[in-house]
Amino acid sequence: MTTSTNSGKHREQIMHIVFTLSALTAIVAVGLICVFLFAGGVPAMLEIGVLKFLLGKDWSPTDTPASFEIFPMIIASIYVTTGAILFGVPIGIFTAAFMAKICPKRLYAFLKPTISLLAGIPSVVYGFFGMVVLVPLVRTWFGGNGSSMLTASLLLGIMILPTVIGIAETSLRAVPEELYEGAVALGASHERAVFFIVIPAAKSGVMAAVVLGIGRAIGETMAVKMVAGNQALLRMPKEFLKGLRTLTANVVIEMGYAEGLHRDALVATGVVLFVFILLINLVFSLLNRRSAL
Amino acid sequence: MKKSLTLLLAAIFLGAIIAGCASNPTTGTGGGGDNTGGNDITVISREDGSGTRGAFIELMGIQVKEGDVTKDMTTKEAIIADGTDIVLTSVANDANAIGYISTGSLNDTVKALQIEGAAPTIENIKNGAYPIARPFKIAYKGELEGVAADFVAFIFSKDGQDIVAKSCVTMQDTGPFESQRPEGKLVINGSSSVFPLMEKLVEAYLKINEVADIEVHMTDSSAGMAAAINGTCDIGMASRDLKESELEQLTDESIAIDGIAVIVNKENPATGMTKEEVRAIFTGEVSIWSVE
Repeated sequence: MTTSTNSGKHREQIMHIVFTLSALTAIVAVGLICVFLFAGGVPAMLEIGVLKFLLGKDWSPTDTPASFEIFPMIIASIYVTTGAILFGVPIGIFTAAFMAKICPKRLYAFLKPTISLLAGIPSVVYGFFGMVVLVPLVRTWFGGNGSSMLTASLLLGIMILPTVIGIAETSLRAVPEELYEGAVALGASHERAVFFIVIPAAKSGVMAAVVLGIGRAIGETMAVKMVAGNQALLRMPKEFLKGLRTLTANVVIEMGYAEGLHRDALVATGVVLFVFILLINLVFSLLNRRSAL
Repeated sequence: MKKSLTLLLAAIFLGAIIAGCASNPTTGTGGGGDNTGGNDITVISREDGSGTRGAFIELMGIQVKEGDVTKDMTTKEAIIADGTDIVLTSVANDANAIGYISTGSLNDTVKALQIEGAAPTIENIKNGAYPIARPFKIAYKGELEGVAADFVAFIFSKDGQDIVAKSCVTMQDTGPFESQRPEGKLVINGSSSVFPLMEKLVEAYLKINEVADIEVHMTDSSAGMAAAINGTCDIGMASRDLKESELEQLTDESIAIDGIAVIVNKENPATGMTKEEVRAIFTGEVSIWSVE
């Protein structure tokens, strides 16, 4: 009798350790990534000159003397992310409102898995779709050569839809039914109640959806580099039919052949990206804390 | 709090956009589309550091050297595709595109231009009529022996050159291969362009002589030659002719010739160009297809 309780205790202790280790894996991974990124990137940044690296406009890594300046890429990442938000967020929120409040059950059973599927498609497939469908489409409809800021924004807008819809729908469903009922009781129509009462009540959840969408868009690599043209040039917003190179694309395109300071400069590009993601996550958790209160 | 966050986000984006506007884009070469009525040329280049790009800009005079300063004059407006397959797809899908790939990767989704009147065929590359080609070289110090000698004999045998023929122009082969099956270690180092071919050769050789131990390292042509000179590798790989300083210490042999084809969309009426025309397009001096 005593032995069996003992072994049960043992098992519990062992499993305790197993769970702790599992929990630690994620933390250790984040820690290692931080260490690797900063150890590789920061010395390169210092060697190039932090301000020159961040604010210079010429990226010519194989010239002698070479120049590593990523300002055009920082701006490019912000452009395509903004574009994706402008395009994806309204569609995403309306879809979420439709799914949570308007959609007939039968259609919902079809819509929900479709959107989950959208989230599961590998980004290289999106990229290929963009390359053979969106790029020629933008070229015929808007001009230019098709590989452009606009194309990348459109593609990213589609890619962030599942993230935005998922979170926005959850937060719309979390709004107490009384609010809606109260609005209808006061004589508001169904649509009016949804758009003027329920969506504003779910504001912080919707904001969280937008922020996660930003995170998804800014970190996307494969699909973007296949449709964006990847010119390391500083663009203006009105040049939305011309190509640009995002931070992620810069790293993935040149990592294969880079060596020496070039390689370190790419790692440093990763550092900048990492800081962006940190900021976005910070904003997200602040928003979450607000909504929890 | 919520409001201030929204404001903060808006401020970040607004700031970025203003920053983008305020800094005047001085690099806007090409892509004009002003007057001639022809279409803008979509120039597609490979990424910085790629061996194909390196060879292309050097052979076409796109890379400018002045003393210690070398500058890659490829137009900054060029679309950057990081892989032969992406260049192929982009050119196949854009009637105004022009790009370049290794001749070994050519297929019928695109059209290869004649350069100086010569098509990028194996014969033309072999007899030198097609100008955009580079040798794949191996170089070593002194006399080869053991595994190294046996492996080099394999490269130049019919078996070895049959592997070369899958991607490049072959050299004269020495007939069927018979291995002496020596044991030992062989270290090969050098050009990333030669590397894929060398790996295939090593793989095939190890099937014949499984007691050999061969390591292939990918660096670049110059590093490979330096390693062969200082003895850290037995055989160096280069995707260019050796410099005189290197030839003083090394013996070199061409194992294959790789051509670079300039490709355009199939709808493009152009069939050939001069080297100068190609150079002008890739440096952005010419940015519009002339109406033919």
